[in-house]
Amino acid sequence: MQWLVTLETDNDMIAACRLMNIFRRKGVKIGTFALATRPAGFSIMAVVETAETEVAYLFNFLRRTAGVQHVSCYRHTPAANASYVLIDADPHSSSVTRILETFPHSKLIFASHGKYLLEIPAESQHEVLAESADTDILPLARVMSTQNAARPAGVGAQAF
Amino acid sequence: MGKALSGSEILLESLHRQGVRVVFGLPGGVVLPLYDALYSAGIGHLLVRHEQAAAFAADGYARATGTPGVCLATSGPGATNLITALTSAMMDSIPVVALTGQVPAHLVGKDAFQEADTIGISMPSTKRSFLVRSAAEIPQIIHAAFKTAVSGRPGPVLVDLPKTVFLDRAEAVYLTPSPAPPEQVQEWTEADIKAAAELIVDSRRAVLYVGGGVISSNAADELRQFAEMTHIPVTTTLMGLGAFPSRHPLSLGMLGMHGSYATNQAICNCDLLVAVGARFDDRVTGRLDGFATRSKKIHIDVDPAEVNKNVAVDLGLVGDARETLAALVAELKRAPRTPAHAERQQWLQRIETWRAEHPLTYDHYASTVKPQYVIETLAHYADERAIVAVDVGQHQMWAAQFYKMTYPRTWLSSSGLGSMGYGFPAAMGAQMAFPDRQVIAIVGDGGFQMTLNDLATAVQYRVPVKIAIINNRALGMVRQWQELFFEKRYCDIDLNFAPDFVKLAESYGIRAARVEHRTDVVDAVRDFLSDREPRLVDFWVDPAENVYPIIPPGASLAEMVVEPPRFVAEEEEVLDDLWAV
Repeated sequence: MQWLVTLETDNDMIAACRLMNIFRRKGVKIGTFALATRPAGFSIMAVVETAETEVAYLFNFLRRTAGVQHVSCYRHTPAANASYVLIDADPHSSSVTRILETFPHSKLIFASHGKYLLEIPAESQHEVLAESADTDILPLARVMSTQNAARPAGVGAQAF
Repeated sequence: MGKALSGSEILLESLHRQGVRVVFGLPGGVVLPLYDALYSAGIGHLLVRHEQAAAFAADGYARATGTPGVCLATSGPGATNLITALTSAMMDSIPVVALTGQVPAHLVGKDAFQEADTIGISMPSTKRSFLVRSAAEIPQIIHAAFKTAVSGRPGPVLVDLPKTVFLDRAEAVYLTPSPAPPEQVQEWTEADIKAAAELIVDSRRAVLYVGGGVISSNAADELRQFAEMTHIPVTTTLMGLGAFPSRHPLSLGMLGMHGSYATNQAICNCDLLVAVGARFDDRVTGRLDGFATRSKKIHIDVDPAEVNKNVAVDLGLVGDARETLAALVAELKRAPRTPAHAERQQWLQRIETWRAEHPLTYDHYASTVKPQYVIETLAHYADERAIVAVDVGQHQMWAAQFYKMTYPRTWLSSSGLGSMGYGFPAAMGAQMAFPDRQVIAIVGDGGFQMTLNDLATAVQYRVPVKIAIINNRALGMVRQWQELFFEKRYCDIDLNFAPDFVKLAESYGIRAARVEHRTDVVDAVRDFLSDREPRLVDFWVDPAENVYPIIPPGASLAEMVVEPPRFVAEEEEVLDDLWAV
């Protein structure tokens, strides 16, 4: 099953190293990986292939790791149930601009080098499906997070 | 403008401000500037004979005091020799701060002499590691290191300092308050506490399952108050020994692989399990699908990652054990209903019946020296507040079963990692923290041979640790498993080719004795504990003795193997007779 893990760390790269090390120890297959700098740290996003039980372990391991400020895990889900989408596209692709224009009320959670994680309004779900024809869109549901509410747009958004 | 100081001087002042009074270490090339400053710094230093002993001693200091222990090593092999002990501290959540020298900054990454990637190597073995890049940032990093070590779930922290940082000069700005106070964790709400109180009041057959978190949060008083108020019996993990008085009527002793029959039966039959500062370790649970299947579960832990990690619980209370237990006590006092006292008494009587069926026992009439008898005799004659450090193996389990702990921070054991060689250096660390208390290292002949070179340290600094070797001339626990689970195909467990420990100790200048007969045990123990010098007694115990009960690997608690009771009656009288000799 595909999962998306997002991580916000302080400005010590050791937390990112721990993430990579735990992926390696647990045999997690990485599909996509992106890292963005923030003023006081890093934002990391990884799409991985692994079992649900391993994701719970990863979440718990990461949330107690020194230097990790927030961690969230999202499950690949049918578009009808999605509250989030990951758009994996060329950073200059017109389709990305079009999607963002389509969902003016969406919140940008993560952006770096063509990887955009958006929280989307519920009424936009079918439009996501329609847009997916020419863009790589992964519909997601957030299942575990150290943040109770979605972060506002701009987190890790320097590349946007 | 303040006065510019060297990085070494800033580091020592930073340590002083954190309350560090003693450092366990061993000098080498890149840390020479630091040792030069240490020469007149007013911080004590214990020169160990191997860096692993430095980190184990720092661990022992931390467990005994509750404040971080500090160890120091040079770069490369010095740093790598710390790693086993840091991993042990990580597994057991012990606040240790390790300082390591590093090659000069401009040589990092060039395979310089005695260079190792200490930050990389230590990453999984520490809660956090810091690489210092300038003398000016030392105060801030040391402050952060100590704060990290004691905050939330405690653990080891490593600070790697290139030689150039020791030599650099800077004006230091020290952070306050110092020592750094821990950050508190509390995620539960009042509603959660009320829900927990309802589960407790509704239960009829509850058990408190207590781990090292109760000790690290100094929650022993709150635990006792909670247990006595609710009449819930208390079982402790290996890490939790001392958190609840072993002779208390509500004490069940240790649970799990070598827990008593009664305790494990209580776990199997309880209707509510309240875990406090424990992590449902596999040595505790046995096969997970057979663990406490009839119970609801409440889990109190400062580490949110522990809740639902190994065992799914009905209610998780993430927070400091002391604060959480205090909140529960307050809520239960306010609650309109109280726990059903009569039904709790029935439950306690049922546990007593199990205890009578299969007590923890051994052959008191044997002609050989039984290790359990040595342990009981040590416990009988030692001060009540004596600190006991154990190694790993059979003797560790016998000590856990038969040395009745009364107070927290008096039991030191490498529990999660199970690192042989721990006991003796950890005892030295504890002794440095409490020079006037009795500190006893109960070690096996296997583990002691891993760190016995530090007998020199004990003599050099007159550290009056008492070393009791439970000598069965074998790697006893391995032998036991080969006997029980590998059809007695004994492979490489023979330790008959060992030094004469008495002569060895005497060669270091330590008084020592060997005990080969049961009737000599009492006199040897009394003499051994009678002075304020390092001493060693080599107890030649029955090499065939095994640790019982035992839960076979892969089995559940209900499938424990209980040695047939041989001498249930008159145990106390026999012991009294022996001690009266």
